[in-house]
Amino acid sequence: MLGISPDEVGILALSLRVAAVSVICSLPLAILVAYGLARFSFPGKTLVDAIVHLPLVLPPVVVGFALLLLLGKHGPVGSVLDEWFGIVFAFRWTGAALASALMGFPLMVRAIRLSLEAIDQRIEIAARTLGGSRLWVFASITLPLALPGIITGTLLSFARGLGEFGATITFVSNIPGETQTLPLAIYTFTQVPGGDALALRLSVIAVVLSLVALATSEWLTRRSQRMQGNDRR
Amino acid sequence: MIDVDIDQRLGTFHLAVRFSADAPIVGLFGRSGAGKTSVINAIAGITTPARGQICIGGVSLFDAAKGINLPPEERRVGYVFQDALLFPHMDVRSNLLYGQKLRSPEDRFIDEARVVELLGLDAMLRRKPNTLSGGEKQRVAIGRALLAQPRILLMDEPLAALDVPRKTEILDYIERLRDELSIPIVYVSHSVAEISRLADTVVILSDGKCVAVGDVDEVMGRLDLRPATGRYEAGSLIETKVAAHHVEDQLTTLAFDGGELFVPQVDASIGERVRARIRARDVSLATQRPEGISILNVLAGCITAVDAGAGPIVDVQLAVGGATLNARITRRSLQQLGIHVGQNVYALVKAVSLDQRSVGYA
Amino acid sequence: MRSLCCLLCSMALVCFAAGSATGAYAADAMVFAAASLKEAMDDQARQFEAGTGNKVTIVYGASNALAKQIEAGAPADIFLSADREWMDYLDQRHLLAPGTRYSLLRNTLVLIAPASSKSTLKIGPNFALAAALGQGKLAMANPDSVPAGKYGKAALEKLGVWSGVEKQVARAENVRAALVLVARGEAPFGIAYSTDALADKGVRVVDTFPPDSHPAIVYPAAAIATAKSSAAKLLLDYLRSSAARPVWEKYGFGMVQ
Repeated sequence: MLGISPDEVGILALSLRVAAVSVICSLPLAILVAYGLARFSFPGKTLVDAIVHLPLVLPPVVVGFALLLLLGKHGPVGSVLDEWFGIVFAFRWTGAALASALMGFPLMVRAIRLSLEAIDQRIEIAARTLGGSRLWVFASITLPLALPGIITGTLLSFARGLGEFGATITFVSNIPGETQTLPLAIYTFTQVPGGDALALRLSVIAVVLSLVALATSEWLTRRSQRMQGNDRR
Repeated sequence: MIDVDIDQRLGTFHLAVRFSADAPIVGLFGRSGAGKTSVINAIAGITTPARGQICIGGVSLFDAAKGINLPPEERRVGYVFQDALLFPHMDVRSNLLYGQKLRSPEDRFIDEARVVELLGLDAMLRRKPNTLSGGEKQRVAIGRALLAQPRILLMDEPLAALDVPRKTEILDYIERLRDELSIPIVYVSHSVAEISRLADTVVILSDGKCVAVGDVDEVMGRLDLRPATGRYEAGSLIETKVAAHHVEDQLTTLAFDGGELFVPQVDASIGERVRARIRARDVSLATQRPEGISILNVLAGCITAVDAGAGPIVDVQLAVGGATLNARITRRSLQQLGIHVGQNVYALVKAVSLDQRSVGYA
Repeated sequence: MRSLCCLLCSMALVCFAAGSATGAYAADAMVFAAASLKEAMDDQARQFEAGTGNKVTIVYGASNALAKQIEAGAPADIFLSADREWMDYLDQRHLLAPGTRYSLLRNTLVLIAPASSKSTLKIGPNFALAAALGQGKLAMANPDSVPAGKYGKAALEKLGVWSGVEKQVARAENVRAALVLVARGEAPFGIAYSTDALADKGVRVVDTFPPDSHPAIVYPAAAIATAKSSAAKLLLDYLRSSAARPVWEKYGFGMVQ
């Protein structure tokens, strides 16, 4: 019962790879967007904020369908990417990563933005009077102080990406070894006669992974808060 | 040499300040809201005035007409904030070295060892800011600003957030800075005591405008500046020299050309120049030399000005030798004693009122 | 500061490593097969791999869903549909490799019930399905688009029973999902292929639909026009060879020939 077959390991590895890549690739953009929303006011800011949060409230199938329309082999963006760069998302694990990234993006931006807004901007001003350029201050002061939010956002997005189903199955189908992530595998096995035991085993793994991600997020956040000193005004 | 001539609108507040000052410590004095912090924010480059110039030590930091506006990181202006603003995620040592790492070696004139020794930071180097007391944080903030190799140090009410013992402690450190380093300091404060003790030249701001610039003992005593300097803390400054120490009852005699002052024992050597600040409300007047009275300091002087104003309290100015003394008495006493300009009177100052805070080193 | 640089470097490395995996798929042949073929095709694939060393990946699903994915550019080499219509769909769009299409298998349609059911219902014109269902659901693959559902609806219409049970149909995504509903006892009756009933011990066949009550159940197979691998051609030939016959028959499929 506890023995995990090579197939299951494969599914797990694929899921972890898809979620990890989705998080790593969306992190820089999330930091940029969070910084823009936290520090600047500009015309259309509310609209940008709403668009960022859209995947959080839309049915995942809608997101997947939109991806298929745009980035499918015959879609306006997808055909260009394929012809000019040889980059294909539809029916590939990269597409699964993209779907996961999109669904987890609002969670990442929210957490990072909260962290950025909690920073006393006068500390950044002090750093500039000491000789730091805007970029240097961002790297040496802002980012480290925003670390708790970055960690939380990353791990939340990771956990969300691990569990992504609707957008994934609509956009990249259910190809074993390529796009059959953990949730898709569980879904498949519920339709196989006698596949219940396997579906259950995979479900337990999914729960354990999510718990580990959340617990790690908590621990890392608290640790980095301690490293920064808690007296913040 | 500090030349400031700026015009700036901050919300509904209009700042129009113009002054030139040159001294080890230039005090920037005024009530809350007079515009003191706005001025040093403009000097540091944190805000940009609408028009004018700012020139420090011959280097132009801002010139609207010529289109010069150096960003803060290029101005080499050290800024010590009211609440230290140390970087919470770095230890004290990393805080100190933050600015130094960003300066090229040829610009360096002060090193870590010197700053640590000057400000007594040795025991704190590995600690995090959130474990420090207010006074310790402020010392680190000063050290951090110094190690950024500034051409001038701006201090924005650095003692405001501290309690009295810490204030005294930091004041001592700042005096050390003034004496041992040659960096000019602009010291912002609304405290007459601090300005009197530290500054040589003072710029008085009121309502966003500069109303006076001059030597601190002269400007702080002026009656016509009362609205700007504030009535409550009115007083006068007297330059004295330590004449003698009375070990048996722990008093010190300070001598000036108007006489002698007894004060509680001062930590200075004989002959050292010391500045005594006498609050107007601690000075009483007598038309005859009193007897059988506990007050030790009885100085002979001549009334030079009477500011009757309105209300039960009046300010009187008298010359005691070459020094000017301010006295604050009731209108009733003024009338009953018949105080008038030109009259010879005695000024009575309790030695007890001239405590440690009132005596500073010139 | 240093930890930030380390983080950025490792991120870049991962992305680079991941990005370099934009090459071909791991499998030598990719098959999109109707859901009802699961056990049989898995077995065939195993034999084929053992025999030729070519790796086969199979994606199972409802034939309509698979056809639409192939149309959208899914990287299938071979398509095994559960009815001719969905193969025609791709043919009309010129998505099939010319000359590779053939009819592979036959199947029969059955009425199923949970294994514990004692039902002795017999299928015939106007048979008492509605009464037998009572308040329960009739589990079927989507009768509008999935082959098994279309065959089932056609049969029930021919027998004059459809209008009576139409409102009680529990539409499933594919025939296996319908099978699972019956196996779990969520639906008292369902319509599936006889091969599905063979595969799942949780259901029993109540009766078989007469072959003339619905269009003939034929499973066509073809290579997709974009298929590049030679392994795909080999597999296509293998599936209709005499070597493959024992496996098909083991799982209850009849071969067309």
